[in-house]
Amino acid sequence: MRLLLLLALLLGTPLAAQDFTPVQPGRVMAFPADHGAHPDFRTEWWYATGWLTTAGGEKLGFQVTFFRSRVGDAAGNPSKFALKQVLFAHAALSDPKLGRLQHAQRIARAGFGLAEARTGDMALVLDDWSLRRGADGVMRTQVKGDGFALDLALAPSQPVLLQGRGGYSQKGPDPAEASHYYTMPQLKVSGRIVRAGKAEAVTGTAWLDREWSSTLLNPAATGWDWLGLNMDDGGALTLFRVRRKDGSALWAGGSYRSAKGELTVLAPADVRFVAARRWKSSRTGATYPVAPVVEVRLPGGVRRVPVTPLMDDQELDSRGGGGPVYWEGAVTVPGGRGYLEMTGYLTPLKM
Amino acid sequence: MRAIDLPPACGWLIGGEWRAHPGRLVVAVLAIAVGVALGFAVHLVNTAALSSFARAVGSVSGTADVQARSISPRGVDEALYPRLARIPGVATVSPVVELSGRLPPREAGMGGQRITVLGIDSLRAMAATPSLLGMPVGNSGRDLALTDGIYLSRAAMVAAGASPGKTVRIVAAGVARDLRVAGVLAGAGEEAMLGVLDIGEAQWRFGQLGRLQRFDIKLDEGADRDTVLARLEATLPAEAEIVRAEDEASRSASLSRAYRVNLGMLAMVALLTGGFLVFSAQSLSVARRGPQFALLRVLGMRPASLRALVLLEGAALGLVGATLGVAAGFGMAAGVLAILGGDLGGGYFRGGSVPLNFDPLAAAGFAALGLAVAVASSWWPAATAARAQPAVALKAGVEAGDPRDRWPAWPGAALLAGGGLAALAPPVFGLPLLGYAAMALLLAGGVVIMPWAARALFGPLRHLRWPLPVELALARLWGAPAAAAVALSGIVASTSLMVAMAVMVTSFRGSVDEWLGQLLPADVYIHVEGTEAGGLPRELQARLAAIPGVRSVAFVRQLPIKLSPDAPAVVLSGQPVRADPAAALPLIGATLPVPTGAVPVWVSEPMAWLNDIEAGDRITLPLVGPVFVAGIWRDYARQFGAVAMDEADFERLTGDTGKTEAAFTLDPGQDAAPVMRAVRAALPEGVREQTIIAEPRVMRVQALAIFDQSFMVTYALEVIAILIGLVGVATAFSAQTLARVREFGVMRHLGVQRAQIGWQLASEGAALGLLGALAGLSLGLVMAQVLIQVINPQSFHWTMETRLPWGLLTGLVTALVVAAAGTAVLAGRRALSGEAVLAVRDDW
Amino acid sequence: MATSSPPAARTPVLAVHGLAKSVGGARQLFAGLELSVAPGETVAIMGESGAGKSTLLNLLAGLDVADAGEVRVAGLALTGLDEAKRTALRRDRIGFVFQAFHVLPHLTLGQNVALPLLLKGAAPKEGLARAATLLAAVGLEGRAGDYPAVLSGGEMQRVAIARALVHAPMLLLADEPTGNLDPQIADKVLALLLGQARAQGAALVMVTHSARAAAQTDRVLQLAADGLHPVVLHHASD
Repeated sequence: MRLLLLLALLLGTPLAAQDFTPVQPGRVMAFPADHGAHPDFRTEWWYATGWLTTAGGEKLGFQVTFFRSRVGDAAGNPSKFALKQVLFAHAALSDPKLGRLQHAQRIARAGFGLAEARTGDMALVLDDWSLRRGADGVMRTQVKGDGFALDLALAPSQPVLLQGRGGYSQKGPDPAEASHYYTMPQLKVSGRIVRAGKAEAVTGTAWLDREWSSTLLNPAATGWDWLGLNMDDGGALTLFRVRRKDGSALWAGGSYRSAKGELTVLAPADVRFVAARRWKSSRTGATYPVAPVVEVRLPGGVRRVPVTPLMDDQELDSRGGGGPVYWEGAVTVPGGRGYLEMTGYLTPLKM
Repeated sequence: MRAIDLPPACGWLIGGEWRAHPGRLVVAVLAIAVGVALGFAVHLVNTAALSSFARAVGSVSGTADVQARSISPRGVDEALYPRLARIPGVATVSPVVELSGRLPPREAGMGGQRITVLGIDSLRAMAATPSLLGMPVGNSGRDLALTDGIYLSRAAMVAAGASPGKTVRIVAAGVARDLRVAGVLAGAGEEAMLGVLDIGEAQWRFGQLGRLQRFDIKLDEGADRDTVLARLEATLPAEAEIVRAEDEASRSASLSRAYRVNLGMLAMVALLTGGFLVFSAQSLSVARRGPQFALLRVLGMRPASLRALVLLEGAALGLVGATLGVAAGFGMAAGVLAILGGDLGGGYFRGGSVPLNFDPLAAAGFAALGLAVAVASSWWPAATAARAQPAVALKAGVEAGDPRDRWPAWPGAALLAGGGLAALAPPVFGLPLLGYAAMALLLAGGVVIMPWAARALFGPLRHLRWPLPVELALARLWGAPAAAAVALSGIVASTSLMVAMAVMVTSFRGSVDEWLGQLLPADVYIHVEGTEAGGLPRELQARLAAIPGVRSVAFVRQLPIKLSPDAPAVVLSGQPVRADPAAALPLIGATLPVPTGAVPVWVSEPMAWLNDIEAGDRITLPLVGPVFVAGIWRDYARQFGAVAMDEADFERLTGDTGKTEAAFTLDPGQDAAPVMRAVRAALPEGVREQTIIAEPRVMRVQALAIFDQSFMVTYALEVIAILIGLVGVATAFSAQTLARVREFGVMRHLGVQRAQIGWQLASEGAALGLLGALAGLSLGLVMAQVLIQVINPQSFHWTMETRLPWGLLTGLVTALVVAAAGTAVLAGRRALSGEAVLAVRDDW
Repeated sequence: MATSSPPAARTPVLAVHGLAKSVGGARQLFAGLELSVAPGETVAIMGESGAGKSTLLNLLAGLDVADAGEVRVAGLALTGLDEAKRTALRRDRIGFVFQAFHVLPHLTLGQNVALPLLLKGAAPKEGLARAATLLAAVGLEGRAGDYPAVLSGGEMQRVAIARALVHAPMLLLADEPTGNLDPQIADKVLALLLGQARAQGAALVMVTHSARAAAQTDRVLQLAADGLHPVVLHHASD
């Protein structure tokens, strides 16, 4: 669940729902075409998160995201500048030595080769940032910001994981509230990072979420929580819930794929987030349950998974750029590690 | 402990002197105050106007780090955009469509106001020029989508009578479009006339597909600016140029720089005149107090203390004058801004109110200048005071000099010669600073040579037979030429400056009038703005030429071109020239025969001056290639230059057949009004709103009105200078006359009649006035030549022919003689009244 | 009253030796002039018009330079002093009274009298206080704030006397101090001048052409081309 629809917040679009291709169950995923962009859908993202280990043994978290948003159709306008697609990208590095996130972003209207999300295969460029899938299936991403840069190769070690029903993932009580959603867990990472102007080699494990949709969040929702875990044994656990104002779950779901490849799709009743320790941001005043305990009903019974953050302050305040305040960071669980995203804890997210 | 070593009892001595002669004090203080006030006011007004202009430029530019823009309004290919964006060191390039447009007129029949229409990519502008992003109605955030509609600056909103949600008709690039007003451009400031819409919409709706006029560039933080600029320069095609944010303001500043320097220097000259008056007042005061100073010396005051005392007096009146001057200058600036606007009537800045800020640093600077002038003017009197021989001065009267002392001509002559040499020097930093130095030297030389001149003039007159009063007057003037010179220094300074300015302005106005006549020989002119779309096409030209009553039409195409990357653009105009160059252009000299195969061009005087071009040169012009300079023509309109070529050559070499101007010659007896109506009707909508149609007769009147307005401040300065001069003569006269009370008393004892003394004084006054006027006149005529031949060409790069305002000059001389004689008589009446006869016994 | 000889035991206030002066580079006024004035002594110098009385006084004050000879004031040779030191000497040791009063018209009486003190570096307040005392001594008590314009000639000269004495000089030089005054007033003013000089112990050298005035002094000398000659006068009243 990565409904970080920054663009929908930023860009009041004149398009109505019927202008977009709707999300429908039964659509068959096809690769490599579905690695590429789906410009007829309202929005879409390529969302990579993971853990890195430096040569010195330091553990770091990273996140690189590319969004595509269709904001207009510019009917009849032959201008190359005619506003149709906008690309947005965001990257963050969690470094316990620093104690807070380093992050950067890029945004541009698609065009002129400066900002493109290609169809047919994964090939994204946004000024000096990029995410491309090579012929060997290895994905390479390059991003840079103030004081940090990432240049990482993400190599798949497992088949693509189709979320929901064959890639159709419901996000609310209404079956129309859904997305096309697949995941590439257990990616082997190698590459280089730059911190404070110093380059060093890193290795690690990552997770890539691909999701595209044309619907907006349920009006009753105020936020969501999402958790993706690469288990040490090769398993992959995806959990999400959409919250109401009172904190109760409006919708929930996820999946568990065991090391052997057995996939369990989770229904709303199978997932519970239980808040435990909370952390209050002195920057924004928001309070986050940074170490929740998640309860998942798997075929072998309910498993209680306590979550521990790499560091408490992995909050992102993107209000300066018109975005939301949220928490997104590297976490560990017994026997696994991954990323936790929590939104809507300061003010309800409007979409 | 005192910070400076003040002379003992200086408070008593200065205070006593001023209590006794407040009038003289007031004049000296006012003289300094006027100079300081003028200088400070000119500075304040210009600073206010320039910063307002810079703000306006800034709001349209959105304060990008660097701007690249196309030289021609037609823009450059949009393919340049990604190439610029990929240059290392460039953080963001924000592409911009920039059009000059018109708002709908507020009243029918009136022209709409000009507006700059920008098409931007909001996501790029967010990084490069955030102030260009608009606020949508009913939303707290910025509208980054700009999905439809136009954002208007506050000024444009008011001028269009528009409000958010309503539709506004914008005419730009030759088309009229109805656009929804999406909101207000909060970041554009109060003065800018600006509309912003989406770049894709702007390209589409205003016929600019594939074209961009401007790129706002943000550099990487920490990138080496010069390196990146060099890379940008290397990438830009010839039809685009780099405009640094600071250049834009400085170019607007340089437009009016020469004008400002002229005014500023005039103010300094007024201050200098004030200095002469202080000198005059202090000299008289020192001469009168000779015995007092002698006593002080006898009582044990050191010469250095006496000098300090007089300097301190100068400094004190300088300080009072400077303070008054700063206050008056601020008031004057406020008044001038309210009445004339920010350009002092110079026509360089347009529109908008200009807020005035008190500039403490400049105030201190001008006050210091006033103080310095006052102290410097007191230097010579102070030295005289310190030189006082106590024993001699205690015995003798006011004037201890021997009438047979010789007055050498050489110090004055040397200063005059130095002035002449300085006038020959080239400009410094593009400014005629040495020309002004020449003026100052001539002025100083003229004043210094006055005693000699008085001897030279009055010596021969003494050998003629005169009635007794005149005889006495001449003896006195011949015998005490220094006193005459002191009385005259102020009037010589102010008269010469006024004559110089009057001659220059008359010459300039006459030349401009003649130029306008040569430049606008036709009956009806039209000028098309918004040439982003290419001007008047061929078929429209034919339709215009076919309008009944039109005998012929000369079409003109004007394009900006750049001769070098760092120079401002000059105007290239294609027009009918070859048939009769002398009729088409106000040529200076003849046009040269064109070598076979060469393309002739005619270069304007400023362009020839700035680029060192002479008739007969072969030069290469962008867009056109190698050309032959067949002649130079006078142009007072385009400061950076213009070059004209025949329209056939222009069309052949540039391939551009659209026209931006047309001059209609009508059938004999044809009334202009119906033709103007027909021309307007023939123009398509969109072009019509952006076309100015005018009669040269009206244009000429307007141009001269603007001219007169721009010299209004100059006239005001002249009047003030002459008034100061007259006041100076009056005070000097009355002071000298009062100091001669004893002399008159003796004469009365000897049986000279009161009326005869009156006549003597009147003769002295008239003779002095005549001397002052003649000296001022000759000096002024020389200085006028410096203004005409040196300062104007060096400031504005144009020349003019000398024309003399005979009426004004005659009136001036007469007024001076009469005023001087009148003051002398008035002063004499005071001196002779009451117990003047008793004054023989008076000790001082 | 006959003149008395100066007490030989004390250093003379003024000692002149071999003084010579000519004007216009040609006309010799006097040469070989000798004079010694003891502290507190009053001396009158008489002479024909143009004999050089005022010039002699200027030489004594260091306002003019002699062709030859030496002037010592309080033991200091003026010829050996530069302009600044001569100015300082005048300021500190000498007081002046002129025929044409030379009272500064734009200063109050108090300020006029206090001027020499201020030139010596005194504060205005202190100077004005002493000036008030002196003005009282010359009979102008309480008039320190008046301006000279309201004074008669005699009063003007009283102010000048007060000014000459305000800084307690050891030598007073007076140039025809009564020349511009009516005889009755002249007597009073002269008496005041001599009285004040004696009261302060200041020596006085007075140039005058009035025998009546000269007779009031301790010693009367006649200026001639070859120097000063003692004169015995009889009181006009004798």
